[in-house]
Amino acid sequence: MYKWFFAWRYLHTKLIAFFGVASVMLCVAMVLVVMSVMGGFLDTIRARSRGLHSEIVLEGRTAQGFPFYKEFADLLVREHADSVRLATPAIYTYGIFRVPLTTFTQPARVLGVRLEEYVQINDFGRGLQYDRYYPGTTRLAPQRMAVAGINDAGELVLPADLEAANARWRAAENDRGEIEAFWRRPFEPALMPEALPVTGGERVFAADVTEPTYAGEERYGIIVGCDLLNERRPDGKFDRYLPRGTDIALTLMPLSPTGNPTGEPPVRVPLRYVDDSRTGIFEIDKINVYVDFDMLQHKLAMDPQPMVGGGATRARTNQLLIGLAPGVNLDDACTRIRGAWERFVEDFPEELSDADAKALHFVEVYTWEDLQRPFIAAVEKEKVLVTFLFALISVVAIVLLGCIFYMIVEKKTRDIGVLKAIGASARGTAALFIAYAAVIGVVGSILGTLIGSLFVWNINDIQDLLASVNPQLRVWSPDIYSFDRIPEVVKRGDALWIASVAVLASMVGSVIPAWIAGRVWPVQALRYE
Amino acid sequence: MSRPLLVARGLQKSYRMDRTEVKVLRGASLSAERGQYLVVTGASGSGKSTLLHLLGALDVPDAGSVEFDERNVFDGSALHRDHYRNRHVGFVFQFYHLLPELSVVENVMMPRMVSSSAWHWLAARRPARRDAEEVLGRVGLSHRVRHRPAELSGGERQRAAIARALINRPLLLLADEPTGNLDERIGGEILKLLAELNQQGQTIIMVTHDERVAANAHRRVRLFNGVIHEADGRHAP
Repeated sequence: MYKWFFAWRYLHTKLIAFFGVASVMLCVAMVLVVMSVMGGFLDTIRARSRGLHSEIVLEGRTAQGFPFYKEFADLLVREHADSVRLATPAIYTYGIFRVPLTTFTQPARVLGVRLEEYVQINDFGRGLQYDRYYPGTTRLAPQRMAVAGINDAGELVLPADLEAANARWRAAENDRGEIEAFWRRPFEPALMPEALPVTGGERVFAADVTEPTYAGEERYGIIVGCDLLNERRPDGKFDRYLPRGTDIALTLMPLSPTGNPTGEPPVRVPLRYVDDSRTGIFEIDKINVYVDFDMLQHKLAMDPQPMVGGGATRARTNQLLIGLAPGVNLDDACTRIRGAWERFVEDFPEELSDADAKALHFVEVYTWEDLQRPFIAAVEKEKVLVTFLFALISVVAIVLLGCIFYMIVEKKTRDIGVLKAIGASARGTAALFIAYAAVIGVVGSILGTLIGSLFVWNINDIQDLLASVNPQLRVWSPDIYSFDRIPEVVKRGDALWIASVAVLASMVGSVIPAWIAGRVWPVQALRYE
Repeated sequence: MSRPLLVARGLQKSYRMDRTEVKVLRGASLSAERGQYLVVTGASGSGKSTLLHLLGALDVPDAGSVEFDERNVFDGSALHRDHYRNRHVGFVFQFYHLLPELSVVENVMMPRMVSSSAWHWLAARRPARRDAEEVLGRVGLSHRVRHRPAELSGGERQRAAIARALINRPLLLLADEPTGNLDERIGGEILKLLAELNQQGQTIIMVTHDERVAANAHRRVRLFNGVIHEADGRHAP
């Protein structure tokens, strides 16, 4: 009993114990912050990755794509209706993105999707900027540019369908603060004097006529990654300069079914900017644009093309995105769909052309986890490495604790002698110091967990505060870390694990001093005052 | 004649100072009857404290034995000797050696705490405190129960140390120059207290270099040249 009694008494009577508690506390807080941020980073990547894809992806693995996707999609929906909810094709290619108005030109990764299906199969719809405030108005089909007018009260008014959509959003939005914030965002003067005057804020429309209207030619819509076209502010929000409906030009290079250039010049496609997409992953939002699947398929000559010898090529896609019914096990479904695909190819009723046979040969069935595994695994390894490095730094704390306990033992030699004189064993006096270390470890761990958690929970506010003092102090850059917000979640399991290791480490740090205490010769210790 | 409580036979102990071996005890023998007040005198450096440490099993002799209640305390393990110190022997030191972070009553309870597990202490704590307060009353420190050692006078500290030595009702009280750090008046009070305890049946062995403090003793022996002599010059049995 005396071991715990002394451990507790020494804790609040000896100033040196404070340093022990402080070192454990700082180590626990440091490792907890690192693990939480890295773990949150990993979890965010997992969540975002999940939201980028469908559950299962039939991946062509070639730029020219693969045929018979429609037939296989029909087969899946027909024969696997219990597990497959939806199958929709998607084309991936690269092109040159250009804003003719400003001559802004960038390479872009172009995705051809069927928007109505695509938003059902992943989280893409949640990241659309204008579709949030004007629900149902983001379409990739041909459309004209909305132009705001001015009403009798001098206010800017959009065409009726947009105003009605906005009214629907306001009616459905439970967060009144969000609605008020929407209205507070001012319509600002245009920053592009040579263009139509535009309205400003987070929703930007052209405005120059008395009556609200639609202007320009009908053009297919394009959704643009938010970091490609807009400027990200330090607070994570965006400055938008181009009005919704601005003309965009996309230059594409069609490929033949064998992957060769078709010999035609690159295709220039005029489009209309209809929305911003924000997946939350910088590498995607900086380069991706989304257009209508059928339009892109046609422009890339991936739709049926007449052949010299008669007949036509097969329509091709790069991916078939497959959404599963709720509750279906991902891996089981993947195995079943893989089997179905293999049977589909083997039992195909027609003679396959050489190009089609080769294209089908490359097709693989993946889960979304398979597709993201290299990236997730890299981040997992990074998390382990960083945690290990910080844990290594924490070894310093163990050595420090060892020094502190050595000093305590040196100072308390006489007390150890007294305890032995009244019957305490060598093992008991050694255990006293290990118990003392355990108490220091427990108190330090509790305080460290508390401080670390508070830090993580407020880490973005702390960064904003530091950045307001000096912008150079903003350490979390979305360009580097993909996400604009630092993860703020502390996992209880991590905290418990770190605290337990810290207590154990404290005890390990005290082993040598405790051993010395156990070997104190009481006769020598008690000889003098 | 009753059998002796403690018998030391042929105790030898030497220390090494640098490269020189110093023989402190050269076959010291001693016996103490139950209820006896035995004083060991000797010059400073004669080995009195070493003898007391061996009698209390704080140290291990190079040769010889210490039989307590007819059992050699050095026959058993270190744990056996720890138990002997805790239950059968009470130490009183010249410099009191109270634990500074603890109150007087906590110091007195400490031997009881040392022998209790945390679980056992839950039940033993209240009786231990009651006993500690009772023994503090016996040594005249009822009014100092909650004070820290630093708040006590020298005489009070030594009384507290005596109370600590008595808490487990040991059969043997070993006192090492208990008045050596006190002025004459306070020292006299401590000696008077020890004499009272002896009259109540407590066996006491005290070592001192001051012949005058042995006035109340039943028996005086002298440690000289590493061997114990009776006061009349004979070798002690």
